[in-house]
Amino acid sequence: MASRELLALAVVVTPVLGGLAVLCAPRRALNGVAAAGAALSAAFALALSAVALAEPARALVERWVVVDAAAGMLVGVIGVVGVTAVLVSPAYLAIPSDRGLVPPGRRPRIFYVLVFDFWAILAAIPLMGNLGGAWLLVEATTAVSAVLVGFGGKPRALEAAWKYLILTSLGLGVALLGIVILAAGAAHGGLDALSWRELSHVRTGHGAALVAYLLLLAGLAAKIGWAPVHNWLPDAHSEAPAPVSALLSAALLPAVLLVAWRSSQALSPVIGASTAQSVLVGFGLLSLFVAVPFLWQAMPWKRLLAYSSLEHMGVIALGIGFGTPLALAGVAVHITGHALAKALGFYAATPLLGHEPRAAGHPATGIGRTQPSLGAVLGVSLGALAGLPPSPLFVSEVLIVAGGFAAGRPWASSVAAVLLTLGFLGLAHALIETTAGKAPARDRPAAGLRGVVLLAGLAVPCLLALSAAALWLPGSSIARALAQGIR
Amino acid sequence: MSGGLVWVLVALGLAVVVVRRRSFAVGLVTAQALVLAVEAARHGTGDTTSAVVLAVRAVALAALLLLVVSRTREPRPVRAGIAPLARGGLAVGFALALTWLVPTIGLGSGNAERGVLALIAFGIVAAATRRATLFAVVGIVLCENGLALAALELPHGSSSAIELGVAFDLTLVALVGAVFHERIFAEFGAGDTAALRSLRG
Repeated sequence: MASRELLALAVVVTPVLGGLAVLCAPRRALNGVAAAGAALSAAFALALSAVALAEPARALVERWVVVDAAAGMLVGVIGVVGVTAVLVSPAYLAIPSDRGLVPPGRRPRIFYVLVFDFWAILAAIPLMGNLGGAWLLVEATTAVSAVLVGFGGKPRALEAAWKYLILTSLGLGVALLGIVILAAGAAHGGLDALSWRELSHVRTGHGAALVAYLLLLAGLAAKIGWAPVHNWLPDAHSEAPAPVSALLSAALLPAVLLVAWRSSQALSPVIGASTAQSVLVGFGLLSLFVAVPFLWQAMPWKRLLAYSSLEHMGVIALGIGFGTPLALAGVAVHITGHALAKALGFYAATPLLGHEPRAAGHPATGIGRTQPSLGAVLGVSLGALAGLPPSPLFVSEVLIVAGGFAAGRPWASSVAAVLLTLGFLGLAHALIETTAGKAPARDRPAAGLRGVVLLAGLAVPCLLALSAAALWLPGSSIARALAQGIR
Repeated sequence: MSGGLVWVLVALGLAVVVVRRRSFAVGLVTAQALVLAVEAARHGTGDTTSAVVLAVRAVALAALLLLVVSRTREPRPVRAGIAPLARGGLAVGFALALTWLVPTIGLGSGNAERGVLALIAFGIVAAATRRATLFAVVGIVLCENGLALAALELPHGSSSAIELGVAFDLTLVALVGAVFHERIFAEFGAGDTAALRSLRG
């Protein structure tokens, strides 16, 4: 077995072993065992990421497994978000809860096991060499993550988890119909018929292949949270425990988006590259149209981050739809930068709710005045997400819009630029209000703040480094490999 | 698969949309899956995996859902927002629209293609128009039965690994759905999505 295959196996198996270790660990050692398991899992993920991105032209493409630049990037992102989610979980688990989905005594153990299982499935999605297998993994994330969304057990969390479970399952059923249509047009039966390479040879005819592609993307859109099938997203992200919200937004959404991206690239020879990309541009613009008005509204912190996810998934869809190396370099930077900034924002929600409990249902204002460190963390996260220079998301959005012009889509690029500017203004207003707005008297401690401040200290240089790397990326072999896809 | 059998499956699917009781709906989707399993065994050329997977999945889901029904007895069935006749009309209309919109998809027969699209349409309508939470899970199972019919009618057969995976995922989703249904029942005194929606004003 080649080293890349072994690493890919380790990336998926280590979180499973981490979950098993947590299952067997003594109660007092739970947090430590979970942290060790997460660190090991993240180390393998980053190793695979480094190997895949160091030699992007040498992709491993097998029946079951793909290790290419896109998989390397996503696995690295999932690893970083996974380990940080586990590290900040003790602060969430320390909050007493008597209404949870599981008995209080078993709450931490079951939470960690579910997080590790979710992580393992997530890490397998980018590495899956087959559309059918990728669908199975995406569907499996639904079951595990729905339990995590409703983990708090409060009525609103139950409602959000229920909506998430039903809408995404129905959506994935529609996507499966698209896959069945593609399988019907395959040259042979069995699993190989749905491998990424074989998909470009389906013989269903243009009309049926186009319908299959539309069904597939419409179904996956329900999971990615693209408008108009995003209804579950704001509720699930705002009601889930903060570490789970981070995993959902920063890792799950882009991982499923990669399946849509790979499908678009694989089916381009059958339905036409322009058609395949136009559908993605359509989803991207629609998501921006829907998200921007919400970014102008004052709303609770986690809900604001959820609507920002809708905006950012739209931006990534646009970049993939434009498809030029310039735009795809922007996509790579955007996925990574969004993951870092969004995860940090969600992690900060735990100390924020400790310091200002009303922030669960109301906009948080003037946090920088009453808790400067927390205000700074919220400011870093929101500033980066807004695309405030020198945020990497500013560079990535410029690259994507420029890539759109390079792709010969000036109208879509212009509309996107206007919407992104409006989104920026909305988030910039929220940034000012959240950090420096009017502040009522607050004296509650911000539990778990130290860990989040430490993470912010690590995230800031990473975000700046990413901004610098973004200037080099468009002409690099990574951007070329992303544009080429699986061949 | 014969045209008659496909239309039996479609009729069972339409019945799921209009019946009142949750246990009847569970029985109907189970009967559908068992018909598909028998057909897979009869039609199969030596490979009985599909038949076994479908049969085991049907029995496991029936046991799970009927257990949930018995544990969450309601004094009277949760009323749907839309009358049965209107639901049936909506389901048939949606199915006809789908068959009109979707071109030939390459399955074994035209009847099977129309049957698949009808079952998916019925599943979506059942999940969208019923207030009882368990009907949403039953709607998903109905959609998956339609997709199982499509898999049986693939010209080159389908992958056993994928079929097994789909059955496992569906069971997992139904299990999680059942857990949430019980919790919602305990919290609100009824498995009613209207109570859930009221939380958001």
